[in-house]
Amino acid sequence: MSLGEKLMSIPKWVLYLILIVIASVPLFIKIPVPNTPLEPAIDLYGTLMNIPEGSTVLIASDWTKSTRGESNGHFDSLMKILMRRNIKACIYSSGDPQAPQVARDAIGVLNMERKAKGQKTYDRWNDWITVGYFPNAEACANAIANNVRVAFGGKTDYSPDGSSRDVFQSPVLKDIRKVSDFKLMMVITASKTSNITIERVYGKGVDLAMMVTGVMGPESLPYYSSGQVKGLAVGLKGVYDMEQMLEGGITPAMSSKWGTVPGFPGEANIGNGTRYYPTLHFCLALLILAVIVGNVGMALSRKKAA
Amino acid sequence: MSQLFLQAQNLNIWNGENGTPMLWIKILFGLALGVGLIFALMAAPTQTRRPVVAFVTFIAGLFYVLYFFWPRPIDRQPGELPNDFVETVSFYIDDAFGVVTDFTAILSGFLLGLGIYSLLHVHVKRIVKTSQNWFFSVVLLVSMFTMTIVGYWDWITRRGEAGASLDDPANWTTVNRMKDLMFDGMLQAMDAAMFSVIAFYILSAAYRAFRVRSVEATILLATALIVILSLMGAVEYLWNGMVDNITGGDAGSVMNNLKLTEISKWLRDTVQQAAIRGIDFGVGIGALAMGLRLWLSLERGTGGGN
Amino acid sequence: MDFYTKVKLAIGVVATIGLYTVLYRENKFYRFVEHVFLGLASGWALVTLWTETLKEKWWDRMVGTVAANGDPGIPGYWAFVLLLPIGLMGYFVFSRKHNWLSRVPIGIILGLWSGQQVQVWFNRYGPQMRDSMRPILPTSTESIFVPSAPIAPENATPDQLTQVAAEAARINANVYPTEALTNLVYVFTLLAVLSYFLFSFEIKGRMLRGMTTSGRWLLMIGFGAIFGSTVMMRFTLLIDRMYFIWIEFLKQGLLGG
Repeated sequence: MSLGEKLMSIPKWVLYLILIVIASVPLFIKIPVPNTPLEPAIDLYGTLMNIPEGSTVLIASDWTKSTRGESNGHFDSLMKILMRRNIKACIYSSGDPQAPQVARDAIGVLNMERKAKGQKTYDRWNDWITVGYFPNAEACANAIANNVRVAFGGKTDYSPDGSSRDVFQSPVLKDIRKVSDFKLMMVITASKTSNITIERVYGKGVDLAMMVTGVMGPESLPYYSSGQVKGLAVGLKGVYDMEQMLEGGITPAMSSKWGTVPGFPGEANIGNGTRYYPTLHFCLALLILAVIVGNVGMALSRKKAA
Repeated sequence: MSQLFLQAQNLNIWNGENGTPMLWIKILFGLALGVGLIFALMAAPTQTRRPVVAFVTFIAGLFYVLYFFWPRPIDRQPGELPNDFVETVSFYIDDAFGVVTDFTAILSGFLLGLGIYSLLHVHVKRIVKTSQNWFFSVVLLVSMFTMTIVGYWDWITRRGEAGASLDDPANWTTVNRMKDLMFDGMLQAMDAAMFSVIAFYILSAAYRAFRVRSVEATILLATALIVILSLMGAVEYLWNGMVDNITGGDAGSVMNNLKLTEISKWLRDTVQQAAIRGIDFGVGIGALAMGLRLWLSLERGTGGGN
Repeated sequence: MDFYTKVKLAIGVVATIGLYTVLYRENKFYRFVEHVFLGLASGWALVTLWTETLKEKWWDRMVGTVAANGDPGIPGYWAFVLLLPIGLMGYFVFSRKHNWLSRVPIGIILGLWSGQQVQVWFNRYGPQMRDSMRPILPTSTESIFVPSAPIAPENATPDQLTQVAAEAARINANVYPTEALTNLVYVFTLLAVLSYFLFSFEIKGRMLRGMTTSGRWLLMIGFGAIFGSTVMMRFTLLIDRMYFIWIEFLKQGLLGG
């Protein structure tokens, strides 16, 4: 077997084993990685930091633990900003029946962190509510765009005394009459619900922003470019960008548009982005190496055949 | 008829107070009407099938088309009465919107049972006939029923007075732990694992198939390489550092356009977005055309023919 | 970490490894774990079908609610019960003689979907079409490249701010040659990619054929970018699973690190 043929016939299990090792070992080592946040993520952070305190945002949490690596990081960085700036959140899901429970669990974890630091917890009913899962994303987005009170009508959540009450009795939603009363609508998704929301809610007077997984990134960027969304975080890079800005804020060197926007230095800003981003480098390097090896093998084989 | 969609609080022919015999009589009457409708349709002549399906499709679609094209009420106040025919129709559409939107969600919910029914049908048949690997069908059904029972049981416990306190795991009972074990411990973990397996296949496919064989393949490979490199913050830092060495740190130098951040940004904002937008526009026009064809039942296969 | 959490993590790790065994080859352990997964997912879908959807959107609307805890009760609307037989018509798909009835609820859903497409199309593509119409001819030749502001906004004194803002507005209002070239590339890419999808008639003429060939090449740039992003996502999911196994379970769970 020539060198070229050998290079082209590495067994699959060898590749898989190398990938497992590459994806595991760097997790044990703290590797600081320099990073320049992308413009869409900077705009997202700036938009979130400019929401007035005490107002309410609407969050479409359409992710589950199947995309925890990226979406959990997105959700956590969003909720950290909302918690720290006393912004209320109304959370709904239309992408997956598991999504409401996953969002509740994630907030629970963040609340435990806040409790451990002696900070006020982000309380259900007073600071955030969940209106549950809607099986038809198109219908849900339509209903929200037309009349939020009807869309979420009949939905209940738990008040502090343990009773199940109409969500519009909650401090989170009591002043909400229409979708434009929300200061922002954020879509965190791994599926097409981002497109569905743009199609039906855009132009109804509420600013839109998105945090999407890598797969949805390229098709979501045109919405950012055309101004349909105010900010966009894509994939693990987006998570890392947000965590960096949570720590250091925005500086004039990063963005002349926003100037200086403060971060939250010293707070619990480290999340999945900081943990996984260095390891991603090694995995991507392996992919590039695999492609190079395959092509070199092909070139050598062709040369020998010629 | 207008009272139906107004969802009025006052009692009328379309509603009844909760738990009263009159409401249940009306519900049973409605159910009888519905069942009668099914029998009537079952007895309908063959030539009426396609028109029936086309008619319901058209009426369903007409609602949203009217909602889009008909003048919307401006600054409508609660209790305001319409002034003319146009306003009457617009008020009616406005009131009906939330209800019609719910119809979609409810029908989708009922139809979800089709998938469950199919699953049961296939696996029960396999068990009864003791076909090959029938044991796995037993495993599936046991998992399914256990999850269903535990899930409902957990939901019931959360609906009572103890509902809000169960957000804290310290207050969990056995059934709450069982549901957490099955949902979070097993289902979520498996969901994530299933999605992550694709990473191995991508590496293997990139190694075997990503070859510089044609102009198109070369362009795809080169672009993918630039995008992957731009996702690696460390590589970006090193590359940009090299350019800074060449320019001597001069922010106004033209050579700064050779930085990886600038190249990837240009590629992303200029070529990538335009290409994806082109694909999007094509898909969008196709979806619009398909939507019109489906609405008007022009698509072959729609309608009541067998 | 308490015993329950350790058990929960252990089960998750066993299930994850079970699913990963398919990478070597198909085996009974993988089939077992796969079927458990399908069963759990179906069971959960059944639970959420009622708890998250039908109970509040249909049942409570049909039977009404009583006033409690300061919430006004709502009367029940009996007409909602008609949705049940309409929805159940979908199950006639299994009937050989009456399977056409299943197209009634599907027709309603499809009708509602297709009726929305006009609004959806304008909402989604209108702003993008507007954004795609970019100026391809320069309006100023004072500089080939976009000039930077003489004073950076963060360095401007309060007196200079108005002047800086006016200068920035003047620069933004103009199209410089490099911007025009970039816009030309953008517009050409868009048109070339669109022309690639012209399948309704035969492509004759060198110019149109050149356009479609360029469109195909430029499409590859789009696909390359999509591939890069997809790779990032899939690797991230794998890294997350490795973190779950090695750090959450092994290091923090078993070894207490």
